[in-house]
Amino acid sequence: MRPMVEVESLAASFGESAGLSDISFSVGAGELLVLLGPSGAGKTTLLRTIAGFVAATSGHVRIAERDVTCLPPEKRAAVYLHQSPVLFPHLSVAENVAFPLRLRHVVGNRRSERVAELLESMQILELADRLPRTLSGGQRNRVSLARALAASPMVLLLDEPFSGLDPGLRQDVREAIRIVQRTSAPATVVVTHDLDDAALLADRIGVLINGRLCQIGNPREVMTLPSSREIATLVGFTNTLSARADGIGNIETAIGKLRVCGGTVSGSGSLMFRTDGGRLTCDGEFRGRVTAVTTRPGSVTIRLHSAAGELELASESGRLPEPGDEVEFALHRERLVFFPGS
Amino acid sequence: MRTTPIRWQSSLLLVLVLWTALPISVLVISSIGSGWFYPHLVPTSWSTAAWSELVSDRRLSRSLLTSLWLASLTGGIASIVGFEIGRRVSRTPVPLRYFALAAAFLPVAAPPLALGIGLQYFVLRAGLGGTLTGVWLAHSAVAIGYTTLYFIGVFAVFDRRVEEEARSLGASPLATLARVTLPLHRRQLAEALLLGFLVSWAQVPLTLLIGQGAVESLATSVMSYVHAGQDHLASVAGLLLALPGLVLMGVVGSSIRRFAVATV
Repeated sequence: MRPMVEVESLAASFGESAGLSDISFSVGAGELLVLLGPSGAGKTTLLRTIAGFVAATSGHVRIAERDVTCLPPEKRAAVYLHQSPVLFPHLSVAENVAFPLRLRHVVGNRRSERVAELLESMQILELADRLPRTLSGGQRNRVSLARALAASPMVLLLDEPFSGLDPGLRQDVREAIRIVQRTSAPATVVVTHDLDDAALLADRIGVLINGRLCQIGNPREVMTLPSSREIATLVGFTNTLSARADGIGNIETAIGKLRVCGGTVSGSGSLMFRTDGGRLTCDGEFRGRVTAVTTRPGSVTIRLHSAAGELELASESGRLPEPGDEVEFALHRERLVFFPGS
Repeated sequence: MRTTPIRWQSSLLLVLVLWTALPISVLVISSIGSGWFYPHLVPTSWSTAAWSELVSDRRLSRSLLTSLWLASLTGGIASIVGFEIGRRVSRTPVPLRYFALAAAFLPVAAPPLALGIGLQYFVLRAGLGGTLTGVWLAHSAVAIGYTTLYFIGVFAVFDRRVEEEARSLGASPLATLARVTLPLHRRQLAEALLLGFLVSWAQVPLTLLIGQGAVESLATSVMSYVHAGQDHLASVAGLLLALPGLVLMGVVGSSIRRFAVATV
């Protein structure tokens, strides 16, 4: 895939945050990269540096093979959308969408046809004459995306588009982003905190920690084989056991001995797994006492006290244990990840 | 008793209304009445002669036109300059922003007489003493202070993400200003224009000092009529002087109501 946006050895500082250092990646046309990272990791700064609102202190940003590092935002062909949709309050929905077309001197019927086409694609044609203040959050998001598409961007930068939205609206915005990908195929970079949104949308996921891009790969890679403890914690590896590996796949922990897949590392470290890395079973290798049972839509999490401390396991359907019950559990060795070092 | 606070509130409101409306009422009555001496509560006769004189008295109509020209130009320039300075100051980092604020506050805080003496030095050196241009420059110095302070407040709460969004969609800084920032501040620009207009409209000390008697505005005419004991003309000119202020009250009041409706 031809890279539409290339970021090379990029560094930037902004406010009192740590800033970005030595960031390199590329995103192809029609590809969607999700940036994950804890708060203050530099995700928004990275997006704003690509967009041209934060000056890079070193490195390069190239869009469609053109170095745009020193160009102002309007000359980059990269549209940056803020966390909450920012519409022009003095313009109607149709005028908002027509804004980039006016700038490019698209006139008359061509302009109105294109506006109608974009509103239609976002399923908001009936809102054309409304003012932004009369729209709901989801509608505002759709108008914002339609307006971004009107600018025919080569790169679309979305800063936490799902933040503060209820589940219905999140689905709505995800659908709108898919429409954008389908109809215009820009290289898209999305910042989010939500693993579900990341997994549902991303072609690739990049993990940013302390201003550095620590891992980038397809969602399966990043979600199942995080390259560090911080990333594992970020992508939902909630269980950590102190462990010692022997270099041939055997790992000793406080709850007992385990065999892991492809373990060639030796020494002490941490064994981490998600809640789905283990299961309650009648003939499990390990024992624990249930301390809490949490029911969420579509899942139940059992918190239990083991010889290695507190662990959380997802429960499969069937009879649920009660707090205080003694239970046995097993761990899925292919879902365990060992990180050497303290 | 529960009615006591309400009675107090009504009484205080009445006092406030009388206190503010009485001077204007006196102007209205004395502009159309004559023979209004103690112990008469109202004038003994009524006439519109003073208003007719407004048209025939060339001095009064000339000073009215001078004031209109001066105040319009001052209001126009001060609103544009104040808008731009306010916009830039709001983006200036903090220590510098405080200096800019202090600079804008100076012509507002300093008494016009003191300011006039200072300005006189420069205006006379530039050969503009006793000219309309000199008076306009002096009025603008004060009016720009007011409008700058006003716009610093406006831009302190302005959501700059709107401008960023426009830039990101392809608008140059100039296009962003013309298509987004200015249209979004139409009401504030109109209010600043009126503010600048009023500052110039009611200005006496600066007009006297810089105009050196050669430039006569409506406000300085009122002073002359009062000194000359021409009460009717003083009242008519005084009413004209009060008119823009009353219009401003109406404009601000209606825009506040519109804003309240828009944000409900």
